[in-house]
Amino acid sequence: MDYILNFENLDKDFLPLVGGKNANLGEMIKADIRVPPGFAVTTDSYKCFINSSEVSKKIFKILSSFDTKSVDSLNKASTEIQDLVNSAPIPKEVEDSVREGYAKLCQRCSVEILPVAVRSSATAEDLPAASFAGQQDTYLWVQGEDKIIQDVRRCWASLFTARAIDYRIKNNFPHERVLISVGIQEMVNSRTAGVMFTLNPTNGDESKIVIEGNWGLGETVVSGSVNPDKFVVDKVVLETTERAIAKKHIKCVYDPVREEVVNIDVEEDMQNKCCLNTQEITELAKIANNIESLYGRAMDIEWAIDDDLFYPENIFVVQARPETVWSRKKKGPVIGKKSGHQLLMEQAMKRIKISY
Amino acid sequence: MADEKAARFPDPHEYQIPPELEGWEEMYPSHYLFSKERGEWESNQFWYQDKIHAPEPMPPLDLIFQEAWQISLSQYTTRVFCIPPAQGIAQRMVGCYMYICAIAPPPEEIIREKAGLFEKRVFYVFEHYDELWEKWLTKFRALGEEMKSVEIPGKMPRYVPEDQVLPAPKGYYISYDIIEAFDKLVNMMFKGWQYHFEMLNLTYLAYLMFGDVSRNLFPGISESSIGKMVAGAYVSMFRPEEELCQLSRLASSMRGVSDIIKSDVSVKQKIAELNSIPDGKRWLEEFDKAKDPWFSVSCGSGWFHHEGSWITNLDIPYGYIKSYVERLEKGEKIERSLDELDKERDRTVAKYRELIKNDEDLKSFNDAHKTVRTIYRYAEDHLFWVEHWFHTIWFDKIRAFGRLMVDNGMLNETDDIFMFNRYEIPEILTELATGWALGVDIPLRSDYYKAKAQKRREILQAASEWSPTPALGIPPEEVAEPFTIMLWGVTTDKVKEWLKGVGEGRVEGMKEIKGFASSAGIIEGKARVLKKLKDIVEIQTGDILVCPTTNPSWAPVFTKIKAAVTDIGGLTSHAAIVCREYGIPSVTGTGISTSVIKTGDMIKVDGDTGVVTIVKKAV
Repeated sequence: MDYILNFENLDKDFLPLVGGKNANLGEMIKADIRVPPGFAVTTDSYKCFINSSEVSKKIFKILSSFDTKSVDSLNKASTEIQDLVNSAPIPKEVEDSVREGYAKLCQRCSVEILPVAVRSSATAEDLPAASFAGQQDTYLWVQGEDKIIQDVRRCWASLFTARAIDYRIKNNFPHERVLISVGIQEMVNSRTAGVMFTLNPTNGDESKIVIEGNWGLGETVVSGSVNPDKFVVDKVVLETTERAIAKKHIKCVYDPVREEVVNIDVEEDMQNKCCLNTQEITELAKIANNIESLYGRAMDIEWAIDDDLFYPENIFVVQARPETVWSRKKKGPVIGKKSGHQLLMEQAMKRIKISY
Repeated sequence: MADEKAARFPDPHEYQIPPELEGWEEMYPSHYLFSKERGEWESNQFWYQDKIHAPEPMPPLDLIFQEAWQISLSQYTTRVFCIPPAQGIAQRMVGCYMYICAIAPPPEEIIREKAGLFEKRVFYVFEHYDELWEKWLTKFRALGEEMKSVEIPGKMPRYVPEDQVLPAPKGYYISYDIIEAFDKLVNMMFKGWQYHFEMLNLTYLAYLMFGDVSRNLFPGISESSIGKMVAGAYVSMFRPEEELCQLSRLASSMRGVSDIIKSDVSVKQKIAELNSIPDGKRWLEEFDKAKDPWFSVSCGSGWFHHEGSWITNLDIPYGYIKSYVERLEKGEKIERSLDELDKERDRTVAKYRELIKNDEDLKSFNDAHKTVRTIYRYAEDHLFWVEHWFHTIWFDKIRAFGRLMVDNGMLNETDDIFMFNRYEIPEILTELATGWALGVDIPLRSDYYKAKAQKRREILQAASEWSPTPALGIPPEEVAEPFTIMLWGVTTDKVKEWLKGVGEGRVEGMKEIKGFASSAGIIEGKARVLKKLKDIVEIQTGDILVCPTTNPSWAPVFTKIKAAVTDIGGLTSHAAIVCREYGIPSVTGTGISTSVIKTGDMIKVDGDTGVVTIVKKAV
């Protein structure tokens, strides 16, 4: 049984054991894409936990006895299960593995108590992601073994949010078939972070990479709580063909006093300042190109730029997943099948409108 | 916004010219002036200053190139290949600056008529391009050789040489020869410029077509990427530099020769010393072989007599060879990798091609690219042969006339001849011929010509200190003429930009200058404004070069600079190509950079968007 697995040992074949997110991180590390180190708490860990101390029995008893037609009843069942998951004892072998994995990660990064991100990683890739909203749990800047154990439990518990339970019932998806893995990844001390797409999400143009970023952690960009800076980069020549610098009011940072990540106001003089330099934009675009060719499809990528490191060692990819909106659309021809003569004749007839 | 209240530019007939320029009108042919007879038509057209070909005040004789292109460019569009909705480009002079106008499309019936002719006439050119190019080059070189063979007497002889009289009189003599010779030169210049546009309009049309296809497939693709997919490396404009590299390699393989080349003596002395050793003689022979035609390259754009060319300034090629020989000795590479440039273009095209996901669009893209590549080398090749080689011959011949006039006391200096237009010179030559024919001690109106030349120099000087309006008349609703779009970039943005500039008048306050985004990247640095090639020695490593235009004469500079800004030149101009090759940003065709930017200013060059910003003025 592998209770934990280091990212660098993963690839897409590990998906049932570590979920999509973690498997992707492994694939990218294998392709020399800079990903912060970490490890996956496998579905075996989850299975081991759930099958011990009769946790699963209790869970399925609650699930089979609540009134599926009543929202109140559903919410109550969900709360009960989550409390159970958050409090039931974790088998020693699982807990020891996670603690040991973290200790090794700290050692590897030469930090006594390494801040990490704890993220759930779903295995049910064949179901629409949105329906598993509960599985998108992410805990940032988690420090210390105990806190990590606690957040691993929270990720496991996220399988039983009211929404997730409801969805499975409506889609006749057996509760016991759903498994979950958790990723534990070194936290990037990000100066700037955000997302990028390997196509232009505005119009589906596949010749562009669109990068959006803000100061601090990427959460403000992912959640849409700030207007990010936006850069459109040509995939072939890596030129920035469009840049829009937004007024960035807030940023997400770690607050050492409250020991959690918080949104704070951006300093006045930084609000209108571009959050990426030209070099970083080009490097991000190159990384996006690599990831796209690695997967052979349009991708949606989360990245971060570390404040403590120097270019290019400071640029990290923290997540990558397939782009779904435009990739599903069938695109017809833009110009159609035309000969050089036809195109030239059309050009000769053109007039450029001038408006002022 | 200024553009809303001023939906038009000043009326050309009411536009005020500074009093210091008084007398400017008589420097140019009368049909170049805005006039009452054509008043209504002129007022309803849109005239903008041609900063590409005439960025500075126009010396009267240099107008000949403009006169020739007005006719030739226009006729190929309107009467030869018949681009359906396009008409020609008209020119006018306003206070020594040239304004041009893309005439509004003709009536629908003419457009229909032309469409039929266009279809019939144009495609042949694309299908037979290589063959047509060979024919073009043959006839063009023959024309240049013919111009070279025109004899211009160095002196008016006291008596006609005996062999022209005995055994049988020649029948016509130097008094006729000088007038005929000048007429011949003018005729050949016009003929050369007829040839100049033989395939150029279609080349531009093909380029615009490919640009539109690319923009449809890859929305927002930059102009420089489009240029990169089209431009070629093995073109005549690059040959002069290649020849220099070869001569440098040869010199460095011969110890005695390289020592002389590297020495700090005048070119004249170097040639004398080279002639004194066998290797040197051999090297000079090679130099002479390369010299014609490849060193007949202007130090500027080729449009102005004062720019000079390599063969009239041997210091320039010798200076380059010296620095190349020194670099070779240090083990550095001097040749630019043209192969690499060609491969890079093909790689770029292949990568864009991969992004096209359906076969129909792919076919269109491939066909569009093939079409433009077939003909585009014309844009790159004709430039050397016409603007450089042919113009160099012309300037050389005209100067011979200038010397003849100086010799006869009619002008103070050789280049004063350029202060007279092509209609006035025959008048002067006729007086010279007349005076000679009349006998000895015949007074000529020398002081009149000298004073006129002097006054005109003063007018041109005053004009160069004046910044005229960017445009006159009413902006058009649409443009169909290919040069107007491609070369001058007349678009909504450009018109708006000009409208903003109305009333500002002067350039001093300008902070931002727009041009072609011809090589990507953004960089900030210290500007070095070089108006003339001979100032090249001033350039420091890390400077941003700001100059009127570049051509192969400037090539060695590019290894030192970190960006380039030019007044003249598009996306496939020399500066654009070389900057892309070295991976440094460039903004070309800004029109006014050399007058707005001063050496020492901190400037930001944005090669992605084509904007140059003055960050901080030098104190």
